[in-house]
Amino acid sequence: METTALLRQLSEAVGPPGYEAPVAELIERLWRPYVDELRRDPLGNLIARRRGSGAEPRPVLLLAAHMDEIALLVSGYAEAYGHGYLRIEPIGGIDRRVLLGQRVWVHPRDGEPLPGLIATPPPHILSQSERKKVPPWDHLFIDPGLPIEQLEARVRIGDPITFRADYLELKNRRVAGKAFDNRVSVAVVTLALAALLERTHAWDIVAVATVQEEVGLYGATTAAYGVAPTAAVALDGTFARQHDVGEDEAVALDGGPAIGVGPNFHPYLVDRLKEVAEHHEIAHQIEAIPRGSGTDAWAIQVSREGIPTALLSVPMRYMHQPVELLSLRDVERAARLLTEFIADLRADERPVWEDEHGS
Amino acid sequence: MDFELLHRLTTAFGPSGYEAAVRELIRKEVAPLVDEVEVTPLGTLIAHKKGSGPRLLLAAHMDEIGVIVSYVEDKGFLRFAPLGGIFPLYAIAQRVRFANGVEGVVAVERRKDESKPPALSEMYIDIGAPSREASPIRVGEPAVFVGETVRVGERIIGKTMDDRIGCYLLIDFLRRLRTSRFDLYVAFTSQEETTLSGARTAAFGIEPDMAVAVDVTLTGDTPKALPMAVELGKGPAIKVKDRGMVAHPRVRDAMVEAAEREGLPYQMEILTFGTTDAAAMQLARAGVPSGCLSIPCRHVHSPGEMVDVNDVERAVALLLALVA
Repeated sequence: METTALLRQLSEAVGPPGYEAPVAELIERLWRPYVDELRRDPLGNLIARRRGSGAEPRPVLLLAAHMDEIALLVSGYAEAYGHGYLRIEPIGGIDRRVLLGQRVWVHPRDGEPLPGLIATPPPHILSQSERKKVPPWDHLFIDPGLPIEQLEARVRIGDPITFRADYLELKNRRVAGKAFDNRVSVAVVTLALAALLERTHAWDIVAVATVQEEVGLYGATTAAYGVAPTAAVALDGTFARQHDVGEDEAVALDGGPAIGVGPNFHPYLVDRLKEVAEHHEIAHQIEAIPRGSGTDAWAIQVSREGIPTALLSVPMRYMHQPVELLSLRDVERAARLLTEFIADLRADERPVWEDEHGS
Repeated sequence: MDFELLHRLTTAFGPSGYEAAVRELIRKEVAPLVDEVEVTPLGTLIAHKKGSGPRLLLAAHMDEIGVIVSYVEDKGFLRFAPLGGIFPLYAIAQRVRFANGVEGVVAVERRKDESKPPALSEMYIDIGAPSREASPIRVGEPAVFVGETVRVGERIIGKTMDDRIGCYLLIDFLRRLRTSRFDLYVAFTSQEETTLSGARTAAFGIEPDMAVAVDVTLTGDTPKALPMAVELGKGPAIKVKDRGMVAHPRVRDAMVEAAEREGLPYQMEILTFGTTDAAAMQLARAGVPSGCLSIPCRHVHSPGEMVDVNDVERAVALLLALVA
C-alpha cells in the first residue's frame, strides 16, 4: 500500500473526540482484509483481531492508535447585522493562536457538511493592543455565510467542526496536514497489519483505533480493560526538532520512530523493541518520558492488574496545528519495526522483570 | 531495630519504574515468612500470608525519587527529567548514581538572573565524560541521589526514608507476626513517586476488603515549618486526609483503637501536600476502604530524610495490634 495515499485518506477523514464514526468507517474498510474479527466497543473503539499461529490460549498484543483529532464544537449562535455566526468551544488541545483565518467544515447532525471560516475583524480596525493579542474564545466565531435564521435551522449546538486542511506533499518525502496526530499511527498499524499477511506471528494481535484520546485517554481506558491483553504497544506522534526548539526538547525528524523510556513503559518491551530495531537495522531513537506519558500508553498500563506497555512514536513538527509535518521515511520505519517486533514474539515469551529471569 | 536491614534497603537502587534491585532484596527477606510471593505485571511484589478472614492489603512503596537522562550533549553533559517530585533546591550539587555504578554531580548553568532558584532544565549532570560518543550513559537511563544512611541517637538520616522505612516496617511486621484475623497481602509497590500505578493495579488484582498504606508524612516541628500537628518521635501518624484522599473512617478508627488498646502513642495527621498509595487503592474496582499509617519524616524528598526509631517501632506494634 502506498504510504502517502493512505496518509492522505486518514488525514482528510473526519473524527473529532466523541464523533469518530466517519473515520472509524474508513479504518474498518482499511483493516478488513487483514484481520479475522472486527467489532466496536460501547465507547466506539474499533477493535480488530488477527489471530496468531501459537497454540491456544494465545498471548495477546494490543496495538493502540487513537483515531480522534482535536476539533471544535458549536457552543452557541451570535448575530450581527442579521448575519449568523457560530460560537465555538475546543474539544482537545486546540491552539487558539492558529485559528485565525482557518477554513473549517461544520458537521450538522443531519445533512451535508457546511463550509465556514474563522471570523475576526481585520487588523486595520483593531487597536494596537488588540492586534498583539490572540482573541479569547468568546471573540472567536465561525462564519458559514448564512443569515442567522437559516443557520439556526441547519446547525445545532454540539455539532462538531474540523479543520479544512488539504494534505500537502512537500519535497524530500515530507508531508503535512491535519490530524496526523494520530492518524499517522493508524497508518503505521495499517501498514504493519498488511505486512503481517505475508508473515507468521505466534501472538494474537488486537489492533484498536481508540476514541477520545485528546480529551482524556478514555477510549484506551475501556479498550485495555475489555481486551485485557498480555502486553501492549501504544502508538502516537511526538515532538520533532525544529527552529526555536532545543535539541534536548525533541527528537530528530527522519531519525526513525522514538521508543519511549521511563516508568510508563515496561523495560522488557523497551529492550525487545530496541533489539529488533538493531537486528533489522531500522533507524530509531530513545525518548525519555519521566512520568505518565499523556498518551494511550498511560491508560493502558494501569488497566486491571497492570499491563506491560510500550510506546512507539513518529516524530512530528507543528503538533496540534492543521499543518502537522512528518517524514514518510519515519512512518515506514515505524511500520517495519512494529511488524518485525510482532513477528519476533515467541509463543511462550512473556514480559518479565530484570530480577525475575530464571526464577 | 535491624539497622543492617534498613541500611541495605535504603541504599539499594530503585528509582520509580526501576525497582528490580529493591524487589530482589525484599523478596529474599519476605519469602521465608509468607505462603506465596508474586510480582505483578507492573513490578509490585506481593507477599501473601494466607488466613481465613477478610482480605487486608498493606502497602509500602519500593521506589525512590530519581532522575532520567533526556539528552546527552556533545561535550558529554547529561540533561535530565525528574522521576517523581524533585525539588530544584535539593538537587543542586547532589551526587547521582546510575544503575551501572557511574556517578556524577548535578551542576547549574551560569544564569543571567541568580535571584531565583534554578529550574531543573537549567541543570545538568556532569559525569566527567569527554564527549557524547564517549559517555557511558545514554538517553533513557535512570539515576538516584547518593546518600549514606546514618543513625544519630534516636533518629535516622538517609536518602530514601520515603518509603524504604515503610518497606522495612512491613518486613519487620511480617517477622514478628504471630496471629492475624485477616487473609493478609503485603504489597511492596512500584511507581508510587510518579503515578501511584503499582498500588492501583495491585489493588485491582487482590480485590481487598480493606487497605492500609504505610508511608512517610511531613512534620510541623522544624524552624518556620508550615503549621502541622505532627512531630518527630511522638508516635506514628494516623492519616485523616491528604491531597489525594480522605481516609475511610472505619480504617482510621480501627488504627486508633489498636493504638489505644496497646497504649501506643500516636498522632492524627492532616497533610496539605502530596498523597500516598492509599489514594489509588481506595479507587480499585468498586472501591476499597483505605487508610494510611504514616511515619513522621523531616526534609522529605531531600537526601537527608530523617525519621525517629521509636515511631517506626511503635508503628510495627500498631499494625500487629490492628491485625491481631
